[in-house]
Amino acid sequence: MNLLNSCAPVESIQVLRSLRFAWLSIVRQPARACLAILGVAAVGALLFDMLLLSRGLVLSFRDLLDRSGFDVRVLATDAPPFTGPRIADATAVTSSLAALPELEAVLQIRVRDAQIVEAAAEPAGPRARLDRVDFIGADPQVRSMWTIVQGEDLPDRPESAPVLIVNEHLARKYGITPGSELLLRGRCESLSEAVPAVRFRIVGIADFPFDSTTARTVAGTLSWAERLCAGEGQDRAEMLLVRSKPEVGAFTAAAAIRAAHPDLHVVTNDELIERFSRVEFSYFRQISAVLATVTLFFGFLLIAVLLTVSVNQRLGEIAALRALGLSRSRVSAGVLWESVMLVGAGGLLALPLGAALSVWLDAILRTLPGLPADLHFFVFEPRALYLYLLLLTVASLGAAVYPMRIVAVLPIAATLRREVVS
Amino acid sequence: MSTPIVEARNVSRVFPMAAGPIAALRNVTLRIEPGEYMGVVGPSGCGKSTLLHVLGCVDVPTGGDVLFQGRDVGALPDAERSRLRLREIGFVFQRFFLLPMLTAWENVELPQAEAGVSRAERRERTKELLAYVGLSARAGHRPSELSGGEMQRVAIARALANRPRLLLADEPTGELDQATGDQIVGLLDRLHADGTAVVVVTHDPAVASRARRIIRMRDGGIEEESIP
Amino acid sequence: MWFDRGMVTPRVWLLLATVLIAAQAPAGTTVQPPESLPGILLSRQLIESRGLRVGDVVRLSARRGGQGARPFRIEGTYEPTPDPMRFAQPRLEARLHLPDLIALTADPSDPASGDSVTAINIRLQNPSDATAFARDVSTRLPGIVARPTRAPNDRTSTFLVLERFHLAIAIVTVIGSAVFLLALMVMLVDERRATVGILRLIGFTRGRILMQVFAEGALIAVVGAAGGILFAFATQGVFNRFFQWRYDTALTFVRITPEVVWQSLLLSVPLGIAASVMASWTLLRQQLLALIRR
Repeated sequence: MNLLNSCAPVESIQVLRSLRFAWLSIVRQPARACLAILGVAAVGALLFDMLLLSRGLVLSFRDLLDRSGFDVRVLATDAPPFTGPRIADATAVTSSLAALPELEAVLQIRVRDAQIVEAAAEPAGPRARLDRVDFIGADPQVRSMWTIVQGEDLPDRPESAPVLIVNEHLARKYGITPGSELLLRGRCESLSEAVPAVRFRIVGIADFPFDSTTARTVAGTLSWAERLCAGEGQDRAEMLLVRSKPEVGAFTAAAAIRAAHPDLHVVTNDELIERFSRVEFSYFRQISAVLATVTLFFGFLLIAVLLTVSVNQRLGEIAALRALGLSRSRVSAGVLWESVMLVGAGGLLALPLGAALSVWLDAILRTLPGLPADLHFFVFEPRALYLYLLLLTVASLGAAVYPMRIVAVLPIAATLRREVVS
Repeated sequence: MSTPIVEARNVSRVFPMAAGPIAALRNVTLRIEPGEYMGVVGPSGCGKSTLLHVLGCVDVPTGGDVLFQGRDVGALPDAERSRLRLREIGFVFQRFFLLPMLTAWENVELPQAEAGVSRAERRERTKELLAYVGLSARAGHRPSELSGGEMQRVAIARALANRPRLLLADEPTGELDQATGDQIVGLLDRLHADGTAVVVVTHDPAVASRARRIIRMRDGGIEEESIP
Repeated sequence: MWFDRGMVTPRVWLLLATVLIAAQAPAGTTVQPPESLPGILLSRQLIESRGLRVGDVVRLSARRGGQGARPFRIEGTYEPTPDPMRFAQPRLEARLHLPDLIALTADPSDPASGDSVTAINIRLQNPSDATAFARDVSTRLPGIVARPTRAPNDRTSTFLVLERFHLAIAIVTVIGSAVFLLALMVMLVDERRATVGILRLIGFTRGRILMQVFAEGALIAVVGAAGGILFAFATQGVFNRFFQWRYDTALTFVRITPEVVWQSLLLSVPLGIAASVMASWTLLRQQLLALIRR
C-alpha cells in the first residue's frame, strides 16, 4: 500500500525545510561559518558607516543652521560667510528688509577682532598669553543666534554700560561667571595706534552653534562692536540673518529680499547646504561612495567564494540528493538560503560594530581645525539603515547566483561517477 | 505480460570527451519486470553504472528510449524525472552518500518529507524501515558514528523510504568487507522477497549469483543473459 | 569663528565678489587702445569657462552690481597651483598688479583701505632664519601675525586628521581582509585533508608538513601581495585621471610611494603566511584517524 500523500507539500513547509537544510549545512562547518559571518560583519560595519557618512555632514549642518533660528542669510557676495566683503550701509539695509512683509526678523551680525587685556583669572600655563577673541555685534532686540546656558542674554533695551556674553570655552579658560569683568581692546585694521580698551561686564554664558571647541567668542551690542575700533568700518556688517514668516517660507522670503536688493547675495539654508554639500563636503561624499562600493564588493566576493567552494566540496552529496529525487529548485534554494543566512547574520552583527566604529571615526574627524563643536560626520537616519539592508540583500542574492548555477546544472550521473572514481 | 517497470529500447549513451566520444552504452534493449531480481556484471568500464543511471532516470540516453511504466522518460522535463526518482525509484550507492549532518533517522526521513508524507506517517515508516535494516538502536547516530555496513543499511532504508517499485544498487558492497557485504546482500534478498524489483550492479560474482537473472555486459552492450 | 578670514586673499575675494563682466569691447568702440590697458592674468579654468582668449578686454568690478567696473586686457593665462583644501571649488581666478587691485577695491570713504593688504610674502636671505624672523616681527609689530611657511597650521592639521581617518579605515579593511583570507585558507586546507592524512600515514611529521605549508603560504602571499600592488598602481592612474577630470585640477589624489609599497608588503605577506599556517595547524592538530576517515 502506498502511503504517499499525493499532494505536494505546501510552499511554506518547503521554505522551512530549505531553511533548515541551509542551517545544517552552515553549522556543520562552524569555523568556516564563523569566519564568513565575521568577515561580513567587518565589511558590513564599514559599509554602514559610509552610508552614515554620505549624508551625515549635511544632516548635522542642517541641524546647526536650524538651531540658529534663521533660515535666510544675506551677504555682500557669494563668498562663504565671514570670508568676503562686508555689507555697506548695513543699518539702512536692515531696516529696509525688516519692513518686508515676508520677513519675521532681521539680525545684523558684525564681527570684530579683539584681544583680552585683563580677565577674571589668568589662563593656566607658565607663559600665559591673553587671547584674541571674535566679538560678535548683534541687535539685542532681535532673537539671538546663540543659546544662553548661564546668566542672562544681552538686555534688549539701549544700555550705556558695556555688557557681554561669552562662550563656554572662554568662560572655562578664564574662570568667567556672570558678573565677571573682561577688559577688551579692539584689533583694528586701519588704526596704527592702539585703541583704548573697554571694560565689559559679563551678563551671560552662551552656546554659539558654530563655534569650534577652541573658539573664543564673545557677543555684545552693535554699538559696542563699533566702539571697539573707534567706529572704524562703520555701518558695515558681515552678514544679515533673516527669519521668514512660517506661512511664507524661506524661498519666498529670499525672493523678496533679492527683489528689494539685487546687489546683495541671498541664500536660504537649503541653498547653503546644497553649496556646502557640493563643494566643502565633496571629499566626504566621494570617499563614502568609493568605500561603500568597495566594501559591498568585498562582502559579496567573500560570500560568493565561500559558497562556491562549499558547494564544490559537496558535489557528491548534492548529486546524491538529486538522484534521490530532490528537485533542482529545491537544492538551489538551499544554497540561496545559506547565502542569506550568512550575510544576514554578519549584517546584523555589523550594526553594533558599525555604530561603535562610527563613534571612533567621528571623533577623529571632529578634530579637524575650525569645525563647529556640534558638527558630526556620522549621523544616523532610517534611510541609511534601509539602504544598508537593501544592499546586503542584493549582495547575498548576487553571491548565491554562481553557486546556485553550479547546483542547477550539475550532471548527476557524471558527478556520481566521478565521486566513485575519486 | 504485465507492463514492465522499466524498459530500455535500443538505448545508447555517448559521452563527448576531449580525446574523442566514448560510447558507454550501445543499443541496449532490456526489460525489468515487477518483482524481478537482476544482476548486472561485467569488467570495469563496460557500462554497468551508466546503464543503471539511464534506467534510474538519473541520466538521459543519447539514443533510443527508456520507458518507465510505459512513460517515455526522455520526453519528461527534469522536475518530472526528479519526482519519478523520489516516489518510484530507490538508489543505493557504493559510497553510501548519506548526509553527514543528519542522523540515521533524519537521513531516512528526508525523502518522505520531500514527498509530502505527514509527520505521523513519516515517524511510523522511518521506525519500520530502521527496524527492517536492524538499526533501530542507532537511529540517533550520525554517519560518522556508524560503520560502513551500518551506513549502507541506512542508505538502503533511505532508498526504500517512499516504497519504490524499483531499487537500483550500484556496487552496494564495493566498500565493505565480505561479512558485511553478505549482510547487505541478505537485505537485498529480503527486499526482493517482499516484492520490490531489484537491480544490482556488481563485479562480485558472489553477489551476482543471488540474482534470479544476470546480464553480462561488455563494451557498452549486453553480451549474455543468463538465469543462474 | 568658523572661517578664518585671513585664509582668503584679496585676489580670491575679488573673484568671489566680482561680477565678471566679460564684455569684450567690440573692435573700433574701445575708448582706450587695448595695449594701454592694464594687464591681468586669468586662470585657465576662467578662460575656458567664459570662452575668453589672450588679448581680450574684460571689465572687472569689486561690487556685485558691477559698479565701478574697470577695463583690463588679458595678457596671459596660468594654471592655479592645485590646492587640496579647495579641490572641489572651481578655480575662477584673476591676477592683477597690486596697485590695480587696490585701485579697484579701495573704499573711497576709507582712506586707509588703499593702504592695506592681507598678506606680505617674504623671502629671506637665509631661509633657516624664518622662525626667528617671524618671532621678531610679531614682537615688534603687535597686531601682525608672522608665520614661517613651513610652520604647522590649520592646513597641516587638516591633513594630519585626514591621515588618521584614512588609517582608521585601513585598519578596519585589513581586519576584514584578514578574516576573508583566513576563511579561504580554512576552506582550501580542508580540501587537502586526505592528502595530509596520507602524508602523516606515510610518516611525515607535523613539523615537516607545516614547513611545506609555510613555504606555500609564503609563495602565495608574496605573489598575491605583488599582484595587489600592481593592481593598486593600475587603479592609481584610473582614480587620478577620473578625479582630475571631474574637478578640473592637476592635483594628484592617489600616489603609491615606496613607503606605501613597503607597508603593504609588511602587512599582507605576514598575514597571508599566518593565515595559511593557522588554518593548516587546525588540521594538523587532529588525530590521524580523523584525517583519513571520511
